[in-house]
Amino acid sequence: MPEAILSLAGVHTHLGQHHILQGVSLEAARGRATVLLGRNGAGKSTTLRTVMGLTPASAGSVVFDGRAIEKARPYAVARAGVGFVPEDQAVLRGLTVEENFRLAMLQESPEAWAKLDTIFELFADLKKFWRAKAGVLSGGQKQMLAIARAFVGDHKLLLIDEPSKGLAPIVVDHLIASLNQLKQHTTIILVEQNFHLASQVGSDYFILDDGRVVHSGLMKALVDDEGLKQSSA
Amino acid sequence: MTGQAPTPVQMERQRQRARRYTRPGFLIQLALLACLVAGPMLMPSFRVMDLVAKIMIFAVAVASFDIILGYTGIISFAHGMFFGLGAYSVALICHYSQPVQYHHLLLAGLLAALISAVVAVVISALSLRVKAIFFAMVTLAVAEFCHILGYQWSSLTKGEDGVSFKLPGVFNADWSGGSLWGTQINGRLLVYYLILVVAVLLFVGLVRFVRSPVGRVLKAIRDNEQRATALGYRVFRYRVLSTVFGSLVSSLCGALFAMWLSYVNPDTVLGTPLMLNILLMVIIGGLGTVYGGILGAAFIKIAETWLPDLQKLALSLWPKVEFMQRLAERWILLFGILYILSVLFFPKGVVGTLRDRAEVRRLRRLGRP
Repeated sequence: MPEAILSLAGVHTHLGQHHILQGVSLEAARGRATVLLGRNGAGKSTTLRTVMGLTPASAGSVVFDGRAIEKARPYAVARAGVGFVPEDQAVLRGLTVEENFRLAMLQESPEAWAKLDTIFELFADLKKFWRAKAGVLSGGQKQMLAIARAFVGDHKLLLIDEPSKGLAPIVVDHLIASLNQLKQHTTIILVEQNFHLASQVGSDYFILDDGRVVHSGLMKALVDDEGLKQSSA
Repeated sequence: MTGQAPTPVQMERQRQRARRYTRPGFLIQLALLACLVAGPMLMPSFRVMDLVAKIMIFAVAVASFDIILGYTGIISFAHGMFFGLGAYSVALICHYSQPVQYHHLLLAGLLAALISAVVAVVISALSLRVKAIFFAMVTLAVAEFCHILGYQWSSLTKGEDGVSFKLPGVFNADWSGGSLWGTQINGRLLVYYLILVVAVLLFVGLVRFVRSPVGRVLKAIRDNEQRATALGYRVFRYRVLSTVFGSLVSSLCGALFAMWLSYVNPDTVLGTPLMLNILLMVIIGGLGTVYGGILGAAFIKIAETWLPDLQKLALSLWPKVEFMQRLAERWILLFGILYILSVLFFPKGVVGTLRDRAEVRRLRRLGRP
């Protein structure tokens, strides 16, 4: 098992008066794709937002790449190398596709621009609409842009929240191919309700329920375990 | 990389660079600049020159307000105040310096920039972390405080009488340098060209600013603050930067305005109507466009200058129709109707709406309905 790039230990998060995460502990291995599964309201998205510092942890520790980040502000977490793709095709709608990419490159470098050529091979539409506002793209194109944008950002870890939400099945198949390409370059933590996508992309899994991790293991084992699969849906 | 075929990104960037100097927008800008340079010689009317000078100054002031409101999404009511601080910097330094010299103008410009930067940093640092409405209220209070200060601190500002002053050397209204190609070269003309040069430089600076990486971050903050911060940008710092830069440019516009009038008083450069005018101009021109400032300023200033003349026109056209004359007397009502029409036909401002239409046409060409 490769070393962990991200470790959460006993993380508690409150949203107003609601106690959302109630002691989440998990580890994401470097170079692999870890999937967080569970029913709605289990705390999957909040876990990602807590790592990112958008809904800070009230207790517990979050260690990324050997550095404690539970008190860090979101911009500091991003600059440390964590990319975040929120749900709902989170592009900057009033900016062009080009501007979305250039914002993601915190430091514009020839390497970052070279990555765009790879992205254009994966998502040809993004090149076509290069100078169009991101708000006019279709749902699938927006999701592609959100993921591709995270890719040019040169992140050590990508947190991706429900990328298949609201997408047509044919687009989901394209998304699976691109996520599999992406995981060759970086570590991914994926929150996903679509088990087909999760099983095709994920290497490891954690099942959350009521703000706690209730099960974890290798995705391959989960695929073979019908009973557990039902409980994770 | 030498000898290799260009990548898709490189090809797209090369295409954009090649089109830079042949785009209609660039050619329109060149034509406009040529008109501004040749205007006083081709049409030697003080009234027109006065109108054009004010349009230039307000176009830049409105564009600088657009950086704050249109690009960063911050509602500030202190933009007029910064304009006034710049105007009073020039007026007071020139008024109290005897004899006034060229370096006093430079000093006044630096002072205007420094004071506005410090005040903008203090206001931003104290209130930009909180809700937008609180920032708006703080700026309104500070602007009104400065307006009152302009009246009350009469030992310095001469209260409501205002400060009149003379400009140094060739910029003095009494200076005359003979004629060139039939045009009188005098202090007013040289101040006009000084305003033209400074306004163009400031405007180019504003355009470069919004197209720079900082400008992109500001647009991202306006679009979605949380996404901008999750991309790794310190939103608060960028907001402060935007407010300080916009306010600083506004104060320099105020300095130019004072130079043009050689007179300031609290109502003309610190009053609420000035702020409302800037707000109207930016809405008419289009938020988040920068170039909209030119159209907004031109619309309001032309309307302010020419609509009162409708009274004379109505009298000559319909000497016996009392209704028409009374309507022309109430030109401010016509101004209101023009404003409503402009908002109805150009909901995102003139430039914003035209850009949207161009975008729709371009997307249709790309196959998106």
